[in-house]
Amino acid sequence: MGLPMDPVAANVDAVEPWAGEAEPAQKPEEPSLSARQWVRQNLFSTPFNSVLTVVFGLFSLLVARGLLNFTFSEEREWDAVRTNLRLLFTHAYPEEQYIRIWVCVGTIVVLAGLSVGLLAGRGRGVSMKKLSLNLIGVGSAVALGVVLREPSVLKDADGEVLRDDDGVLRESFAAAMADRWAWWLAAAVLVGAGAALWHLLGDERRRKTFVPSVEMFVALVGLLVASAWVYPWGHYAFADGEFIAEPGRTVAMTTKLPWTVMWVLLIAAIATGRQLRRAGAGGGVRVALNLAWLLSPFVLYWVVLRDPALDWGRVATVDIPLAVLFAVGGAAVLWLLTDPRIGELGRIIATGLVGVAAFNWVAAFFGWYSMLQKVRLSFLLLALAALLAHNFAGERAQRLRLLGGWAAVTAVFHYMATIMNTPSTVETPTEALIGGFAVTVIVAVFTLLFSFPLGVLLALARTSKLPIFRVLATSFIEVIRGVPLITILIFCAVILKLFLPDGMSISLIAAATLGYTFFSAAYLAENVRGGLQSIRRGQFEASDAVGLTGVQRTVFIVLPQALRVSIPPLVGQMIATFKETSLLAIIGIFDLLRMANSVIPAQTQFLGVKREGLLFVCLVYWIFAYSMSKHSQRLEKKLGVGER
Amino acid sequence: MSNTDQATLAATQARRPPFYRDATVLKWLAQVVALLLVLFTLFFLATQAQGNLEEKKIATGFDFLGTALGSDLGSGIDTDPHTSGRALLSGAVNTIRLAIGGIIAATILGVLVGVGRLSSNWVVKRMCSVFVETMRNIPLLVQIILIFVVIASLPRVEAVGEPIHGWLHLSNKGVSIPRVHISDGFYQWLVFLLIGALVGRWVMRRRLRLHDDTGRETYPVLSFAAVLGAFAAVGWFAHPIFGWVGAIFGLVADIIDSLSQTVVQAVISALAVAAAVWWIRRFLARRRTPAGLTKLTDDDRFRIIFAAAGSAVVIVVAVTVPSLSSVLLDLAGGRGIDWLRFDNGFFGWLSEKFGNGRTGAPIDVKRPDIEQLGNFPNYGPSGLNLTQGLAAVYFGVVLYTAGFIAEIVRGGILAVPKGQTEAAQAVGLRRVTMLRRVILPQAFRVILPPLGNQYLNLTKNTSLAIAIGYTDIVQVGQTVYNQTGKTLEVVAIWMLFYLACSLTISVVVNFFNVRMKIVER
Repeated sequence: MGLPMDPVAANVDAVEPWAGEAEPAQKPEEPSLSARQWVRQNLFSTPFNSVLTVVFGLFSLLVARGLLNFTFSEEREWDAVRTNLRLLFTHAYPEEQYIRIWVCVGTIVVLAGLSVGLLAGRGRGVSMKKLSLNLIGVGSAVALGVVLREPSVLKDADGEVLRDDDGVLRESFAAAMADRWAWWLAAAVLVGAGAALWHLLGDERRRKTFVPSVEMFVALVGLLVASAWVYPWGHYAFADGEFIAEPGRTVAMTTKLPWTVMWVLLIAAIATGRQLRRAGAGGGVRVALNLAWLLSPFVLYWVVLRDPALDWGRVATVDIPLAVLFAVGGAAVLWLLTDPRIGELGRIIATGLVGVAAFNWVAAFFGWYSMLQKVRLSFLLLALAALLAHNFAGERAQRLRLLGGWAAVTAVFHYMATIMNTPSTVETPTEALIGGFAVTVIVAVFTLLFSFPLGVLLALARTSKLPIFRVLATSFIEVIRGVPLITILIFCAVILKLFLPDGMSISLIAAATLGYTFFSAAYLAENVRGGLQSIRRGQFEASDAVGLTGVQRTVFIVLPQALRVSIPPLVGQMIATFKETSLLAIIGIFDLLRMANSVIPAQTQFLGVKREGLLFVCLVYWIFAYSMSKHSQRLEKKLGVGER
Repeated sequence: MSNTDQATLAATQARRPPFYRDATVLKWLAQVVALLLVLFTLFFLATQAQGNLEEKKIATGFDFLGTALGSDLGSGIDTDPHTSGRALLSGAVNTIRLAIGGIIAATILGVLVGVGRLSSNWVVKRMCSVFVETMRNIPLLVQIILIFVVIASLPRVEAVGEPIHGWLHLSNKGVSIPRVHISDGFYQWLVFLLIGALVGRWVMRRRLRLHDDTGRETYPVLSFAAVLGAFAAVGWFAHPIFGWVGAIFGLVADIIDSLSQTVVQAVISALAVAAAVWWIRRFLARRRTPAGLTKLTDDDRFRIIFAAAGSAVVIVVAVTVPSLSSVLLDLAGGRGIDWLRFDNGFFGWLSEKFGNGRTGAPIDVKRPDIEQLGNFPNYGPSGLNLTQGLAAVYFGVVLYTAGFIAEIVRGGILAVPKGQTEAAQAVGLRRVTMLRRVILPQAFRVILPPLGNQYLNLTKNTSLAIAIGYTDIVQVGQTVYNQTGKTLEVVAIWMLFYLACSLTISVVVNFFNVRMKIVER
């Protein structure tokens, strides 16, 4: 599926046709038009325009009416969604372990809050003009919806729908309008608030007063959370196979309490972030935060959600000593290799290490001696670090930093390797640990994490001057891009097993993630390649002139510029990957779509009830994809790509 | 360069570093090691797969294409294929049909919506942007399934079709509309069209030259259309006079049938060699400057070697797999292939289609009818029936891609510099002329490459039909490997098919792209 981002299209908010690259910031602000003027200018400027307005206005009203009647029809069984929310979001994750889910959500909320507090807030937020117009718009839409929706059906005392020969009986239009007084009230409040804002502030203040968007978002979430304690949204659940639907109650404690905690966490995190920024926290905090973001998927999935049953005896006798050995030994080797005076000897040592690492695999192939896979991988890691070490040769402080980095990488690698090899203690009735929307997010996040480095490597190989690398990368990219994702997924889910050596197995989700990673990496490589090609020759020549090595030139000069240029298409790729996770349903993973399309319609209470669930899935995907694409448009403007 | 400089250069070049520090050696060493690593990994995986397959007693090979398939297909050119090969072919045709129909509809809808987003009318603008944001932010698969489910919830087929009997039938079994189809004398009529196009082209060129010479408006495109139309109109009635064309094709088919497969192998080999030679000569010609041939880099040499090796591979395949050549021969000539249920090869088929005695109208229209109420074959054979699955995939793919195309069109139009509009207005062009002559040609250049990508995506996205059981090539392939266990082979067929589709689309798009390019100095 293609890139929803178009660098040209996304950048322009200009409304007039063929306006070219209008720059919103420099455009002189036009004073607000009166309602009459606005209508004349935008709806009835020419006879042709008036016809368009009438025809398309009627058409859109018809479409809106159809959608409203479809969504809120008495035939819709929205209980199917309400009672199955847990199923839709986490599938069969055990009830008593649910605290783990909340810990994950909480971690993400805290990280997001910290990031927002640290980084955001420089924007001006939403202007009062826009806010009041939006309020009026939403209010009018509500009013319009109330009028358009067909009158409700009549029911007898038992709640059975009354019918005659022609079909169901409906109340009269006047009665329906009167019945919907609460909606009228809501519409009136919204329109009134918008109009009041509009008229109380003058034209000047309307445009120059801004409501900070972060505060507005937090307040809205707060309102929602508070309503969970007060307003009877109803209590719906599917606990132990039992169907609970109690419309008159507030939501269950297991829902409103965690969300309240999340909200408090969010406020606290944002406040902490802001405090840190005010205190002048520098790059260190930011790096730590980014690292936390990077590591959080691994820790949350393998540690928090799985709760691995670590064998502490083995950990103390095998795993920790191994990690320490590699950390210390590797550090010693790297210390030696980053010495600027080492010269030829360093390369010989590095080559030797590569030989050792390679030999371990050869030995594994012939079965000469056994070795933990993680040790083989550690040797490989060390060999790679040794090969690259001469690029980091320099002063003492710099070398020490490299050693610190090595120790951290080793620690994380060994920790994750140990954790991943430890069975989970969370018992679920299904093969997979978790399903529903959670698995969608997990696959999307890991795809992103793995495909990014792979994609960058592929792009570098494809633009490299070395022909064999180029041919390999090009053929990989073109083959993957030429075939549909579903065939790659089927390949990974069905055929990959055949290629694995004896005793090795791969879970369905891992296989699917691998497929997504390949697919996403091929597309990502093309985006990065675009960025790489936009770099001027002078940059290469300059870095050669300063005497940088090839690796240094790529890592410090070329890639930072190339990636900056390719951020918008990369975000587009991210959204595409997120949407493509819906294909998990086809290869038999219980993701959000499969829940709505196959699992809920199979429940005895909701046999064949599909439309409600699917509409809900549409809504969930839409909210996430839409907010991501809006964010990427803002990001693009902020980066000013294409404007320099 | 002075003499001393040259001397130092020569001295530096003479003092080569030891081989293990020589950049060239290291570069090639790294590449060869990487290549060996990749080859070894592939080899390792292949041996594993072979071992695993042997364990499961599954033989590899494409023999299964000719063996019987125990199930029917829901829709397609052949709903009762006797062999796996025929079933896959039927699926492939379904995919191609979906893709072509989808590309046409999505382009029209996408351009309309994209232009609509730039309208000065608020209602139109808003509607179009709501459409785009909805389509682009909901996964295609979800949309397809939703459409499928909604169609399934429509009323059953009744004796009187709803909503417009005889023209448009909507029911829980799908959609039926009138069908325009090739009829009896179409191919003879095609000969008329071909001649008409040639004559029209000649007329158009003359009109163009007249326009260039005199500056008068000579309507070149219109005159082309008029000539073509005239030929089409005459041919509609006169087409039987071309009944003899079939005999020529029959002759060609007979000649091909008389060839032995060695001839085909020789032709393929010769073609491969010719292609490689042509490519290398062109490559070298590009490297030639007025001062003579520039020094070839390693990279250039590698490209030449790669081209030569490619042709060698083709020759080796052609020689070692003789059955490929005989299949090609059967496909081209008049014999046909049994397991694909091709009674004729290509030329045999042509000779039949162009043959004598086809006197009916070239194109026919049939309105939908209803055959049976409620049950499956409810729509008759006359109309164009989109079954539930086909309709869901088709509309899903069209709407989704239209959202993306709309954005591309909008971006392309906005990318035309404002000065162009202003200049056109200053010259006094009318709005329509300005759009047609100034804005759209420039916008098209920006639009075309991403548009080609969208066509590619649309074609690949039709594979989501598997989720709702419409028999496209992927779904049929799944049925085949579930019955025969030949997963590897089926995936290989999928990949070949889709790569061929991708290649076709990119060749077509590239053709237009080159034609549209600005000619610089």
